[in-house]
Amino acid sequence: MIFYVLLPFAAVLLVVFQTTLADVLFNGWLTLELSLVVVIYAGFHLDLVKGMIAAFVLGLVFDSVAGAPLGLFAFLYLLADLLAFFVSFRIVSEKLYLVAGFALVCSLLESLALVFLYRFAFEIDLLDDLLFVFIPQALLISILSVGFFYAMRRVEGLMYGETMQSSQRAGAFRISPEA
Amino acid sequence: MFFKNYRTVIFIGVVIVGAIILLSYNLKYDSGTGIVKTLVLEAAAPVQKFFNAAIGSVKGAWMRYIHLVGLEENNRKLKQRIGELEAQLILYREGYLEAERLKALLSVRNNYPHTFQAARVIGKEQAALSKTLWIDKGQAHGLKPGMPVLAPPGLIGRLTDVSWHSAKVLLLIDENSNVDVLIQRTRVQGIARGAGSRGCVVKYISKIQDVKAGDVVVTSGLSNLFPKGLLVGRISAVDSMGGGLFRQIRLVPFADFSALEEVLVLTAALPDAPEGKKKGK
Repeated sequence: MIFYVLLPFAAVLLVVFQTTLADVLFNGWLTLELSLVVVIYAGFHLDLVKGMIAAFVLGLVFDSVAGAPLGLFAFLYLLADLLAFFVSFRIVSEKLYLVAGFALVCSLLESLALVFLYRFAFEIDLLDDLLFVFIPQALLISILSVGFFYAMRRVEGLMYGETMQSSQRAGAFRISPEA
Repeated sequence: MFFKNYRTVIFIGVVIVGAIILLSYNLKYDSGTGIVKTLVLEAAAPVQKFFNAAIGSVKGAWMRYIHLVGLEENNRKLKQRIGELEAQLILYREGYLEAERLKALLSVRNNYPHTFQAARVIGKEQAALSKTLWIDKGQAHGLKPGMPVLAPPGLIGRLTDVSWHSAKVLLLIDENSNVDVLIQRTRVQGIARGAGSRGCVVKYISKIQDVKAGDVVVTSGLSNLFPKGLLVGRISAVDSMGGGLFRQIRLVPFADFSALEEVLVLTAALPDAPEGKKKGK
């Protein structure tokens, strides 16, 4: 229960932090999308319901803070979480290069979705940004995901004594009966 | 039973559909700042403020550090500049002092109706037995042995050894120096002889003559060496108690021999100068 109580506050904290940090580091050039990394992590390590709720809340907060149409990132994050959830059956999160590759793909897919959505919904062409914004951003997220997964594994080790392997989590039991 | 078994899947489906509906609604109607956005922004504002303050302070500290690094560099440059300016100031001060000295020399020059040759002191010999100066002008500049040498406010000695481009000045206080003088107030004549660090003594003034401490002594012009009226010094002590016919008189020259840097050599009397002043005895 505490997870659901703290989730909105943690989401606000994370999104504001990443926005401020990106502003300082990249001066508006790139978005430091730590929230996507967290969503991927949730897809890999949490049960489906918790992961989906976390993704939805993070998406809503990100939409609100970033000024995007409400529901845009909520929807994209839900898809990313769902994708991560199903991918986690096939790849183990301990292999960080796989995580990096998956994060890169997720970010690129998200960018492509944004390009298409803006093209058809607002008739705004974001294709020019693909090379100089979305690809560097995807690479950045890929690198960040490695650091984040590694750090979380160390935290889990400290908290639970040992890190839980993906193989232990993979399986239908991760679909939580509570909803 | 169906809902119980698939409620997670149903929940996921509902969430996704809800997100799509939310997005579609917002895309179509552009609802602006809804209740969700308002709540999120309300919650995010203090967090944003906190992060901004934290990052601002870090940025400020960094900028101050950068500023300090710049300040250190600036400080180093300023110190270097101060050193250069101080050196320049010393040069200017030296120039000023030289100008003052030359002005004083010029006043001496103007006070006497003679032609002078200015010279710079290039060496000093202040040994026990010899009190001489070495100047940077010589025969090539018209100097000859015996010519009087002046410095503000009056006589300091005469030339002895003169080479092509330098000359030696025998100072008044040298033991070998003898100058015909007279007491300005009473016109009593005597001979001022060098006495080394004690200054000079005035000889051959009898005990019946009126001489007091403080009297000004000038050249008498009775020899061919020194023209009449050049300031020599002031009587500092008069002793009439000793045996003999003459007083023992001490004379302190006006010139400060330790601080001489430029001097004037009196080369000749001006053509229109009064006869009495052209030549001494």
